[in-house]
Amino acid sequence: MDESNHWYGHSRILSRYCGLSEDTPNRIQGFLQHGWNYLHGFPPNDHWCSPGYPRFVWSDVLRRRGWSMGRRGHYLIGAPWIYLLDLEPELGVRPDREGTIWYPFHGWEKYSVSGDHARLADEIRNVETGPVTICLYWLEYANPDIRQAYGSRGFRVICHGDRGSRWEAKGRDFLRKQLIELRGHRRVASNRLGSALFYGASVGCEVAVYGDPMQYEDERPEYGGTARRLRLWPELHGTEVDRELAAEVARRELGFEYQATPEELRRMFGWKRVRTA
Amino acid sequence: MEAGAHRVNTNEAPDNVRLIGGEMLLWSDMSGLGGVVDWRGAALELLGRVLPDDGRVLLVGPHPQALVDDVVARASSAAVLLRSYPDARALAERHPGLTVHCGRLELLADEEPYELVVALDGLLRTHSAEAPAAAWDEALGALADLVAPGGRLVLGVHNDLGVDRFVEARPTGRECADDQWAPHGFDPSYPGGPGALDVGLESAGLSVQRCYAAFPDRRAPRSLLSREALGFDLPEALTFALSAGDGDRMLVADPLRVTRLVFRHRLGEELAPLWVAVATRPPRATGASRTVELPLGLIEDGQALYELTPSGTRRLPGGEERPVPAGRVVEELLVEACAREDVRTIRELLSELAAWLEEGGEVSAAADSLVHDGERFAAVNPPAAPATPPEPRVVLCRILWRFAVRLLAAGHHHPWPWPLEADQLTLTLCGMAGHTCDPGDLDLARKLDAELGRPAELAADAPAYRDLLSARDRLADQLTAALARIARLETKLSYRERELVRAKAKLRRTQRKATAYRRTLGYRLSRRLARPRKVARRVMRLLSG
Repeated sequence: MDESNHWYGHSRILSRYCGLSEDTPNRIQGFLQHGWNYLHGFPPNDHWCSPGYPRFVWSDVLRRRGWSMGRRGHYLIGAPWIYLLDLEPELGVRPDREGTIWYPFHGWEKYSVSGDHARLADEIRNVETGPVTICLYWLEYANPDIRQAYGSRGFRVICHGDRGSRWEAKGRDFLRKQLIELRGHRRVASNRLGSALFYGASVGCEVAVYGDPMQYEDERPEYGGTARRLRLWPELHGTEVDRELAAEVARRELGFEYQATPEELRRMFGWKRVRTA
Repeated sequence: MEAGAHRVNTNEAPDNVRLIGGEMLLWSDMSGLGGVVDWRGAALELLGRVLPDDGRVLLVGPHPQALVDDVVARASSAAVLLRSYPDARALAERHPGLTVHCGRLELLADEEPYELVVALDGLLRTHSAEAPAAAWDEALGALADLVAPGGRLVLGVHNDLGVDRFVEARPTGRECADDQWAPHGFDPSYPGGPGALDVGLESAGLSVQRCYAAFPDRRAPRSLLSREALGFDLPEALTFALSAGDGDRMLVADPLRVTRLVFRHRLGEELAPLWVAVATRPPRATGASRTVELPLGLIEDGQALYELTPSGTRRLPGGEERPVPAGRVVEELLVEACAREDVRTIRELLSELAAWLEEGGEVSAAADSLVHDGERFAAVNPPAAPATPPEPRVVLCRILWRFAVRLLAAGHHHPWPWPLEADQLTLTLCGMAGHTCDPGDLDLARKLDAELGRPAELAADAPAYRDLLSARDRLADQLTAALARIARLETKLSYRERELVRAKAKLRRTQRKATAYRRTLGYRLSRRLARPRKVARRVMRLLSG
């Protein structure tokens, strides 16, 4: 259907969950929400989501909001992350978790963010007490200046890799790598609420959101900006956040209650030939 | 909804907008879909009676602009609660001194209470997509908490079994419109009748002062009749006018016919499209509350507003009390005679009507606003006559044309044997009344009807059946989806084909290059040279192993 269904190895994780081969994921007949979002699960210009195909979203508030904006055909299955946790209950679990993994807000292939990484790195150094791992998106990771900004302050700089596609196996282990890293760290932090933060909270990390939230060069107004995130989740912003509360919000935002059964997913994704009379 | 996108930056909110949480950035209740209930004179009058001289007033939910402007102008201190951010912003810009709370009703609970809380739109649009919708009684509880002791609540409640629902071909709430993210109709606490509404208000700590039934339509209520008034035997001259909705909607039945039955069966209270309850919160100290005399009923008729009194009606403001004329509505007399194929009665009645008009009867009258008590005709709240009174012949022609249009549109049985158009039927009816009219008179009559401003010809299409419609809609949706699907697959297919062609070309190029490379001297030499070395390596391995 759409390339984004296969990003971050999502379709591969779901394939494995459904008992199918992970190597050649099938086409998903519908659109998979590929990242945490506080609009309706998709970018504002979602004209590529053809009507008639289901939109597999993570949480009910996205469905309600999407409905109010004229979108239909939402189907709640929760995030692919929860299926990974289901498949890998033990992967990367360590008794001695330590340090902070920090995810600076990233741009993507068509938009870059503007912000001062050096200043952010200074702020991180002032706040964090333990060892710090900076995880960059591959675009920023490819920029030696940005890597240097963090590396020069003694931080370990990593990247979970390319987000991949259906045909390339590059992104297939993205979420697995992320899970291993998150389970190895005590804390996850970012300058903006995002998928990584909720993923971390869902595997027991402490959460922190601080620092310059960095703007997209052409940020869509539909989201309502940073002010809206602060109004919606005031409790998740700051250098110290209640861990129980963050885990609770993460469970809601990642849709843990909506985990579907393999058979249901096979049917919803069109992975099972339906014989019609 | 996208239209508001450029204005959603909440950092630029006017100072008098307070975001309380749950605000909807890309949403407006003012247009499309439900739109704003078109409250006019009757609601304004009712609010005028209950507005405190001095005290805080809160308007909850979307209300028509004129009503908001009026309340803001008359109240000493007013605030508004809206869920839509663009609406809140527009209102705040229009009234810079007004506090506009934007968000969900439940989140306003910690505010100081109000002397008067007005929620004529009801509670269904006080929740937002940002949180699961609260049950009706919970929302009412939150609303009641905002009413100060001794203060008043004016609440509108849509009746799910209202008479207007019987005739709708597209039942709202089941068409999955954009405002139906929380479907209506499954909330057990939603009042299922006037009794349940009373109980709901009582259990929220309020006592009902008076409950009104609004007619004829929940989207454009024109009259408020109290429960007490509905208990009387209301004259037909009054109830007939309440029955006609000005509809541009698809209907399955003639609303007039159904509503007439409702009144005849004395079910006006139970089957009202909408209820409006005025309730008070008991004062802390006894006797502290302001007593307000509420009207028995308020009836709009065009621009005019009448108050219902125990013995008649009184035009507002300050008109004389007049008894409501007795008798049956002429249109109904004619329809009955048509149904009985009793042309004699029709002839007699029409001749009497013509004579009455000759003697200076009301020029703006029509069969649907005239009553006949067996001897005399009387016009019920006639609109103002045009400046130059037309000839009685044209007046008669207009009355009969209007009747003909309505008769045919409603699909009543009639005795005229061949299929008729309204124009031909009118000329026949004129003949039955003893006048010979020509198409020229008919044109004048039509012009007069338009001038009087109550068009006989409604925009309504021929009645269709609900199931047929929904089946057609379903097919249309499926077709749209299928077309979108095809378009998408076409795009994908052509993209992939292009990719395939490109890949094939690349493969061919590579193969050609490889072949060429194999022919080069260098390649052949290196192969020749490599062969002895390979043999030597194999021998070495054999020897060493």
